[in-house]
Amino acid sequence: MGCPECRDGAPPPDLQGARVVTVGNPNTGKTTLINALAGSDLKVGNWPGTTVERLEAVLRLPEGQARLVDLPGAYGLSPTTPEEALAARELLVHPPDVVVNVVDAGNLERNLHLTLELAELGLPMVLALNLMDEAEAKGYVLDPRALERALGVPVVPLVASRGEGVEALLAALARAKTPEPQVRYPGALERAARELAGRIDHPARRWIALALLAGEEAPLALDDEVLELARRLRAELERAGIDPYLEIENARYARAHELAAEALVGAEPRRTFTDRVDGWVLHPLLGGPIFLLGMLLAFRFTFLFSTPWVDFIGAVQEVLAGWVAALPLPPLAASFLADGLVGGVGTVISFAPVLFFLYLALAFLETSGFLARAAFIADRMMLLAGLPGRAFIPLILGFGCNVPAVYGTRILSGRLDRLRVGLAIPFMSCSARLVVFTLFAAVFFPERAALVVFGLYLLGMAVGLLTAWGLGRAAGQPASTGLMELPPYRLPTFAVILKQAWARTRSFLEGAGGPILLAVLFVWLLLNLPPGHLAESLYARTAGWLAPLFAPLGVEDWRLLGALIPGFVAKEVVVGTLAVSYLGAEPTAALGFVQGLGQILSTFWASVLTTLGAVPALFGLPQLAPPPPDAPTALQAALRASVTPAAALAYMVYVLLYTPCVATVAALKNEFGRFWAAVAVVYELTLAWLVAWGVYRLALLWLGG
Amino acid sequence: MRRLADLPEDTPARIRALKTPPLLRRRLLALGVRPGAEVRVVRRAPLGDPMEIAVGDTLIAIRHAEAAGVELED
Repeated sequence: MGCPECRDGAPPPDLQGARVVTVGNPNTGKTTLINALAGSDLKVGNWPGTTVERLEAVLRLPEGQARLVDLPGAYGLSPTTPEEALAARELLVHPPDVVVNVVDAGNLERNLHLTLELAELGLPMVLALNLMDEAEAKGYVLDPRALERALGVPVVPLVASRGEGVEALLAALARAKTPEPQVRYPGALERAARELAGRIDHPARRWIALALLAGEEAPLALDDEVLELARRLRAELERAGIDPYLEIENARYARAHELAAEALVGAEPRRTFTDRVDGWVLHPLLGGPIFLLGMLLAFRFTFLFSTPWVDFIGAVQEVLAGWVAALPLPPLAASFLADGLVGGVGTVISFAPVLFFLYLALAFLETSGFLARAAFIADRMMLLAGLPGRAFIPLILGFGCNVPAVYGTRILSGRLDRLRVGLAIPFMSCSARLVVFTLFAAVFFPERAALVVFGLYLLGMAVGLLTAWGLGRAAGQPASTGLMELPPYRLPTFAVILKQAWARTRSFLEGAGGPILLAVLFVWLLLNLPPGHLAESLYARTAGWLAPLFAPLGVEDWRLLGALIPGFVAKEVVVGTLAVSYLGAEPTAALGFVQGLGQILSTFWASVLTTLGAVPALFGLPQLAPPPPDAPTALQAALRASVTPAAALAYMVYVLLYTPCVATVAALKNEFGRFWAAVAVVYELTLAWLVAWGVYRLALLWLGG
Repeated sequence: MRRLADLPEDTPARIRALKTPPLLRRRLLALGVRPGAEVRVVRRAPLGDPMEIAVGDTLIAIRHAEAAGVELED
């Protein structure tokens, strides 16, 4: 194939200081390849101003050092997701020096469709024919040389997971070539594309011209004159009965089909590993139970492995507080350092283990191919709320901890779907809220404690799903799509998912650490100023101002209302604050240096042992009954004396629904911006009051005053 | 008129046209679901919807309502 106006390929690129990008369909083993190319130089971060993950590395080549950047997975350059839009924009706005197109050897035709688009960008290219082992297992025999001849760019066969072909790929970079246009479009379309391309001053003129004719918006600034011409040519084509978009796609697929046929020299299709596993995982009867078991396992993995480390951080925090208490400082200053500063930093850091293990579980589910199956099974349920099946995963994670669940919305493809799920997550009752529920349920409804707690979980779920549904209706969005690829099952590259989990955890600490710390310090100020008795503090006064607002809910005790304020920082502290305000504070015990160090070391060792010991527990039976509350009975008696059961129920509902915690709000801000985080807070506070009021009125009828 | 939504399992058929909203058409085309391609229903999900289809070497999940817009050759 050739065309008259094609230039001879540009000279090979100078690799010293070059910018190399990897581009390919999702699920082509791009991440594994970049890890094999980069080794320990791999850096994980985000694309500036976005939440899209970015992998970057330095390539040490004989010709010099080059920079390797991984573009997000894309099926095509006409975007259907934020990731694809980013990949297209990056290729056009910051054209790289070399494009490494990663292609799944076992799925040539569809992958080559993207290759043909890339070939129209006028950039030097190398084709990495990855996953040769899977193609072989499928019974395919490929001839990379035939593909190389047809495309006119180096084609390197690889098995990136075993490092095979990686050296050859690095060597091929110096031979990268700008391919000749591969696709001949039908007469009138081809003529229009050439006329338009002639007016565009950009190496990717042919691709841009075709995109404009197809009615796409080019992701870069163009002259009005060019856009005007594009509109005229497009209108002419349509008058002639041509659908430019469909014709372009057809021509590209026809050529991809030809190329794949040339490269595929033999095929005797076999039943693959994926087919066999899917026979079980997607089985009409066993599929459901296996799905639930998988979810449970991911959930337990996260919490069994992170809990010892959260406890360890708590222990270190206690020891540090003990050391501070031993310093010769005025009591207020010591309390500020111990409870405010050490407590605040400890709160921030204690999120890290949960997030890290959750990200690990999530990355494993996603890259192994199980996530897509879970979404397939759950899709019908999520359809009720107008959400895609994938939404199930972040919502379920919310029951553990809302913070990683908010970041988990990234597995959804559209921004609106992400936002809808993001706003629903805070209503999923996280494990921290359970502590409050078990205490109150045991005090006020000892006979039906489990039922009350279960009911609260259901209520939260219903409110969350209705929120997502309502927001979808309000946005007038066309029904969400259930369309997605079910990729082959693969073993993830653990080096990469560890790095990804750590990078995501770190980005949380950096982004949300400040707000959490500020919130903890603010609450400390309320509790401790002016110094003296708690009942005369700012805290008690603020709680007093809140009383009229909560009178319709039957809750007027300042100690109960006050606990909602630190509850905004973290629900874990609600019970602790209640104990302090009802029973008085326990002074922090002063600790010697050596004694403290010993305590830290022994807890560290205990955490390591518990983490290892958690492996068999992962497969044990789940404990369904809520654990008995460990709050002192004095507190239980004091609570019983202070409100009626109906009001206690309203209080629990309020705790369930009002703003989950400052960390979740910070996560919402990171993901969706300040505006939506503010909307979420106002919405949750209002809704919590309304629902709690409704529940109170109903409970009054039921239980009596 | 045969539609993908009604195609029984393991009965290969050829796609004639995509009568779907523009964004869905785009997503279908990106995954290789295009006029002229051969398609096969692999299975339906335990709850009856969505279904899994195979187009070329790609396995795809698609909802009943979405597959209703994919017309097949007779």
